[in-house]
Amino acid sequence: MASELFEPTLDLILDAGQTLLENGGEVFRAQQTMEIMAHSLGVEEFHVYVLTNGIFASARPAGGTSISMVRHVPRVSIHLGRVEAVNELSRELAAGQLDLIQARRKLADARAIGDTPPRAERLACVVGSAGFAFLFGGMLPEILVAAVAGLLESFVCQWFGKRRINRIFTDIVAACLCTLWALGVSRLVPMLDVNTATIGALMVLTPGVALTMGIRDIINADYLSGAIRLLDAVLIAGSIACGVVLAWLAARGLGAIVW
Amino acid sequence: MPLWTDYLLQFLVAIVATISFSVTFRVSPRHYLASGLTGAVGWLVYILCAELLAMSAPVATLVAALPLTACARFFAIRHKAPITLFLLCGIFPLVPGAGIYYTAYYFLRDDRTLFANKGVETLKIALALALGIALVCSIPLKRPKN
Repeated sequence: MASELFEPTLDLILDAGQTLLENGGEVFRAQQTMEIMAHSLGVEEFHVYVLTNGIFASARPAGGTSISMVRHVPRVSIHLGRVEAVNELSRELAAGQLDLIQARRKLADARAIGDTPPRAERLACVVGSAGFAFLFGGMLPEILVAAVAGLLESFVCQWFGKRRINRIFTDIVAACLCTLWALGVSRLVPMLDVNTATIGALMVLTPGVALTMGIRDIINADYLSGAIRLLDAVLIAGSIACGVVLAWLAARGLGAIVW
Repeated sequence: MPLWTDYLLQFLVAIVATISFSVTFRVSPRHYLASGLTGAVGWLVYILCAELLAMSAPVATLVAALPLTACARFFAIRHKAPITLFLLCGIFPLVPGAGIYYTAYYFLRDDRTLFANKGVETLKIALALALGIALVCSIPLKRPKN
């Protein structure tokens, strides 16, 4: 490969890996995809090490000195549409259907896939919360309370997300608010089952992603990355629990004052 | 209401609830139904095991995680898409959200026996889920090329 093309090619490969990690791809997928791309693009002596939040790679052009590159991926927001697009890009590349310029354009397209509109996201949160309230045995009042709690949660998550407030605090506040809301309604409607309504709304916050990804990392022998994700799952579960406890304490305190 | 309509309704609601996660995770719309089905299959098996066969929650979760992961793998191959798309969304009905809530609840009530019970049960469910996914994901489908 011509040496002036070497660095752009390496850049493209690392960009693809970074896109996968940023949008919720697994560690082994990022590693595998980058190795396949390097092989298809003719980069020799390509070595890469991927962690949950970083990529370390080095390669040596023919007759040159080796180049190394590091990427830091501090924030992950799940966008599986992009993961799928990069996956397809690497498949087409391996099949020899793309050259470097086309591949770069496809990657730019994949990164430009838009977000769901906030309104659709809120709707999904409401529907999800209401659905889970039903699945856990709730009747109409619980389902309605859970739906409103889901709306509250999605407002908190979007508002805090925009201000880059950390995940732990966001989860505590969201869990606290939706428990408080359910408790508040139960004062007016004593027949409401607070537990079912709250659980329905909390399901949206549960660490399903971190748990699943952690397990999959560990199956693929990426123990360090898996441990990072499982720790994340435990922290999320802990912060939801904290939020619930805070809400009950606050309600007890308020209840003693008002009633 | 006859029993089967209740389960049918649960199945349909589980599809909708799982699809709402696909929307949040920005899965492309052509996979919505597949990931919804993945989640609903897991939930249906779980509820059948827990209610009709009277299994404990962790065991029922383990049994339900098997067809769920198999479904995710099936759709991944059929749609030529990463398995994550279906697994991440489909797993949510089985995640022990209720366990987390009740653990916190009994912690607050200072009921140590129930707190420990619920805490351990939550952990067991998470482990069962992990084991179920690991078992099905590890089955090789093709012989690796040498």
